[in-house]
Amino acid sequence: MNNQVALELNKVSKYFGSLAANKDVDLTVYRGEILSILGENGCGKTTLMNMIAGIYYPDHGTISVNGQEVVIRSPKDAFRHGIGMIHQHFKLVDLFTAAENIVLGAKGDKRYNLKDVNRRVEEIANKYGFHVDPKKKIYEMSVSEKQTVEILKVLYRGADILILDEPSAVLTPQETDRLFDILRRMREDGKSILIITHKLHEVMSISDRVAVLRKGEHIATVETASTSPAELTEMMVGKKVELNIDRPEPKNVSDRLEVKGLSLVNTDGIKVLDDITFTARSGEILGIAGIAGSGQKELLESIAGLQHPAQGEIVYHNPKTGTSENLRDKDPVSIRELGVRLSFVPEDRLGMGLVGNMDIIDNMMLRSYRKGHSMFVDRKKPKDLANKIVEELEVATTSTHTPVRRLSGGNVQKVLVGREIASSPTVLMAAYPVRGLDINSSYTIYGLLTKQKESGTAVIFVGEDLDVLVEICDRILVICAGRVTGILDARTTTKEEIGLLMTKTERDTETDPDMKEASR
Amino acid sequence: MKTTNTAVREPLFHVVKRDAMPLWKSMLIRVIAVVAALLFCALLSVLLVHANPFEFIETMFKGSFGSSRRLWRFAKDAAVLLCISLAITPAFRMRFWNIGAEGQTLIGALSAVAVMIYLGDKVSNGVLLVLMFAASVTVGAIWGCIPAVFKAKWNTNETLFTLMMNYVATGLVAYFLLLWTPSGSSVLGELQVGHLPTVGHNYLLLILAVLVLTALLYIYLQYTKQGYEISVVGESENTARYIGINVNRVIIRTMLISGAICGVAGFLIVGALDHSIAETTVGGMGFTAIMVSWMAKFNPLVMIGTSAFVTFLEQGAAQVSTNFDIDSSFPSMVVGIVLFFIIGCEFFIGYKLKFRQTAKNGGES
Amino acid sequence: MFRKTLSMFLAVLMVAALAVTMVSCDKSNEDFKLGVILLHDEASTYDLNFIEAVYRAKEQLGLKDDQVILMRNIPESNAVYEAAADLVDQGCDIIFADSFGHETYLLKAAKEFTDVQFCHATGTMAHTENLSNFHNAFASIYEGRYLAGVAAGLKLNEMIAAGKITAEQAKMGYVGAFTYAEVISGYTSFYLGAKSVCPSVTMDVQFTGSWYDEIKEKDAATALINNNCVLISQHADSMGAPSVCEEKNVPNVSYNGSTVASCPNTFIVSSKIDWTPYFVYICEQVKAGKEIALDWTGTISTGSVVLAEVNEKAAAAGTVEKLEAVKADLVAGNVKVFDTATFTKGGEALTSYMADVDTDANYTPDTEVIKDGYFHESEYRSAPYFDIQIDGITLLNTNFG
Repeated sequence: MNNQVALELNKVSKYFGSLAANKDVDLTVYRGEILSILGENGCGKTTLMNMIAGIYYPDHGTISVNGQEVVIRSPKDAFRHGIGMIHQHFKLVDLFTAAENIVLGAKGDKRYNLKDVNRRVEEIANKYGFHVDPKKKIYEMSVSEKQTVEILKVLYRGADILILDEPSAVLTPQETDRLFDILRRMREDGKSILIITHKLHEVMSISDRVAVLRKGEHIATVETASTSPAELTEMMVGKKVELNIDRPEPKNVSDRLEVKGLSLVNTDGIKVLDDITFTARSGEILGIAGIAGSGQKELLESIAGLQHPAQGEIVYHNPKTGTSENLRDKDPVSIRELGVRLSFVPEDRLGMGLVGNMDIIDNMMLRSYRKGHSMFVDRKKPKDLANKIVEELEVATTSTHTPVRRLSGGNVQKVLVGREIASSPTVLMAAYPVRGLDINSSYTIYGLLTKQKESGTAVIFVGEDLDVLVEICDRILVICAGRVTGILDARTTTKEEIGLLMTKTERDTETDPDMKEASR
Repeated sequence: MKTTNTAVREPLFHVVKRDAMPLWKSMLIRVIAVVAALLFCALLSVLLVHANPFEFIETMFKGSFGSSRRLWRFAKDAAVLLCISLAITPAFRMRFWNIGAEGQTLIGALSAVAVMIYLGDKVSNGVLLVLMFAASVTVGAIWGCIPAVFKAKWNTNETLFTLMMNYVATGLVAYFLLLWTPSGSSVLGELQVGHLPTVGHNYLLLILAVLVLTALLYIYLQYTKQGYEISVVGESENTARYIGINVNRVIIRTMLISGAICGVAGFLIVGALDHSIAETTVGGMGFTAIMVSWMAKFNPLVMIGTSAFVTFLEQGAAQVSTNFDIDSSFPSMVVGIVLFFIIGCEFFIGYKLKFRQTAKNGGES
Repeated sequence: MFRKTLSMFLAVLMVAALAVTMVSCDKSNEDFKLGVILLHDEASTYDLNFIEAVYRAKEQLGLKDDQVILMRNIPESNAVYEAAADLVDQGCDIIFADSFGHETYLLKAAKEFTDVQFCHATGTMAHTENLSNFHNAFASIYEGRYLAGVAAGLKLNEMIAAGKITAEQAKMGYVGAFTYAEVISGYTSFYLGAKSVCPSVTMDVQFTGSWYDEIKEKDAATALINNNCVLISQHADSMGAPSVCEEKNVPNVSYNGSTVASCPNTFIVSSKIDWTPYFVYICEQVKAGKEIALDWTGTISTGSVVLAEVNEKAAAAGTVEKLEAVKADLVAGNVKVFDTATFTKGGEALTSYMADVDTDANYTPDTEVIKDGYFHESEYRSAPYFDIQIDGITLLNTNFG
């Protein structure tokens, strides 16, 4: 790190309606440093970076590159000034090779020569230690390879300032480590790197300095070496937060839901679930870990009656009657009619769990509107429930008539989880329940899940943050490409062990008798 | 660097999203849009047809409010348009893009006329009217439900399907007209049976019927379980599946209702107004209704206003054509311009333009 | 001095003349209003023909702008009654409607507003309804068609003489709208006109099932040409058939106005009804307080049936002179269009035919129309009722495909 200023923001503001996404933000980025942009979801990190990358235009303030005031009206302008951004959602053409994607849309006065491009891509890759085959097609690539292509694309166009939006969200711990090595090499080469993140341990391990944003405002920029996670959290949240998760010992454990040999083929003919077997027990939180898209969503949807598995059984042991029912091939209504109190907090909150344009009351009704023989809906009870949830879970809203899409992510999730636990479920499934939530809301949700566990519910918790999974769960099921690669005791396992199982291929499982043992 | 000599130039304006706007303010913007549109049209009238702009605007109003007869005609036309708009609304709330209201209404009207022709001299007028109503509603519902069944079973595109069904309906009317007019003229003329009774005024019964239907549909959509299911399916099919709604069943059921209301519209047109049928009986109202329903954000009560507004524009335009003795191209242009302003102003309700702030510095140079 | 006196004198005279003119101006003329209900607007050749006739009549009668009210785009529905009632409110003395399908709704208005005169073109109900204020009108367009047919026959003769076709190959094609008396009467008179000069002629007819459908009319004309028809005529309102003829260089006899501008090489002649005499007639009758004929038929003699100028480039030599001669014969009554000696049905000459003159739903024949050796078209009512399929004409379709 040296003291040459690469990028400087001066009182940059951006408003969406009356909401200030960013307010008078000052930020300085030096050459050859890694700067973390830390803040809770909705604090304006991404908006700020989007203004630097030319996606939004600031309402006030100026941006300078290399000491020169510039106007960045489009990503093209940003590239002209040597700024490139790697977004969370990749923008790649599946049918093209890595090199073709890299050169796509790039300016060049020379004639398009794929050989040349391949050579240059390999040059850059070798320089920073990327492992990539320029001739490989995107659809054959893993998520981390695609991310590599995105980074190469930016470097190929000569970016000196790189912005990465939550790069580790889609990676395993091992892949994240590899990425960080590459970023460090870039720093040595004099590049300026900005990483958007909300994971404190990453901030601590990679960055030279940390800029903390809260509610759109720049709180402070501190040297990583001279700060601590607790201090950073306090800056992010604005007050002291207790970060410990309570994990009581399971009580009255009994088998509640048995999944046996479940296989599912999706509409494209791909086997997304392959011979899944596990048991969820009452009074216990069963975590499910895996890379995004490994079959977690399909598994939960199969249990909830939204998918039609080709093989296997989903056996529910009813604690009241003592009977057992196979739920496979039953739709959500008939599952309910069997007296199965199965609640499901899906990953897609506003696209599946809730209706964004409806108010809180009408969203409460989703589960209960069928009750009674009248042809009219009864909004009285849903209204009471809505009021109760707003009050007990401290949902920040002006009224229960507010459309839920107007609520912040955390409040949306409180409404959804609140509704799902209102029916006192015997099985509660939650997919990524804290994704996009601020720290306070996340801990509220963890608390709710634990409380459900204590009241004897079998909780199934699909998570992405392994740190949280090992702290909150009793057992962790690891899934990889639709197969169970292990079921671990959360109290004794490590993140690294889970990470290995998350990328374990079929062959590894077969040749490794220990792992086979573990998956039992 | 190359950029050192590039002058810093902020764009002239950029688009900024607005917060939710209070109702009075958004209504004010819409009123301003209408006024601006009328003024613009008045200016055009001076330039293109050399008409006095005030006379032009006055004529627009006279078209609907010039006499008590015109007022009744205005109310009646708005009611018929409203009825067809009501019909497409449940489907549209479900995001089922039914653009086949034209055909569904026409086939409903055809069914009523068929009953008049084949049973007109066999049963009393009261019984005949009941049979006409039943035929219109049943056939309209079937016509509406065919694309829904195809959508549910084979996932066909409902927009194309309903559109094509319009042509089939028109073809059927042409076929039956030939069958019913042995002279070969294909003009049926006004039939003397199956007239709805007159209550107070000729058109009063029709208007009241449509208003009652409006209230019923509002209640259905807002307060019944089926109406609630329609909203859920429309907002998100995934949510509907998640809570166990049988999406296909809701689609078919809703299109049955949509088609049935179109049938009612066809019955009213035949029984209360035309007492006859031609290929042009619905006259494009099935398409205009889409705009009426859309402008009202699919709220039946608001549609009373939007259907009245569209009818006002059309009758005003016709009056301009008559009073200024010009063909219909200029008046149609006026209707288009006004609607453009109205729909365009929705952009300004959702967004605002932020102009370059350095503009004030520009005064110095 | 003299000059000044003269100019003074002249000025006084002019003022006086003006005053006299103003006084002599009939007061009822000032109040008089004509309302016209039109199916479409200027975009349709059918309605344009009426609109132009109204304007000519207005000029001839010296009516002011606000004395003539045109209501365009009135569909064949209850809207006719509404338009008529609105015209009554605006003080119209005569209300005219131009489309066949307007009739029943106009009749409804006539029954309600008994002190206003209602006139309807192409209709059939006036002589059976017998209301004093409801009138039908048509013109003996078959005479015009006959003349146009003569021009077509001459063209065929020229083609035979030039060796382009044999006499047996002299086949004409005709694009018709509906199998309806108005169309049948039209194509039969056209055929008989051609046959009067070219005895070997035959004709194919293709129907479209619509009065205005450019694509169907194009398809029909193309089908006829592919079926070896060497000359095309039509009775439908679009430019479909004429444009196909120009494209394929097949001679065309048009209808409702000259198409020479867009078809300079193939347009021969066209016939049409000129409604000006009728508009002038009804206005004058009402202003004079006299009754309008219940069922008025304009003829070639009254100037209601006219031919457009012959296109010398496409027509056979001598066409103009021949048409003048035949027209004179028609006016004089020497030639009857539907002379039973000139055509046969099923190989036999007709001596008797009952036509459906008094329109009813079941289309019941009620009037003997063959007398004195010819079919009395448009005499028992103005609208055509000749609907006989004669020999020599082949209908390619009757269900309008």
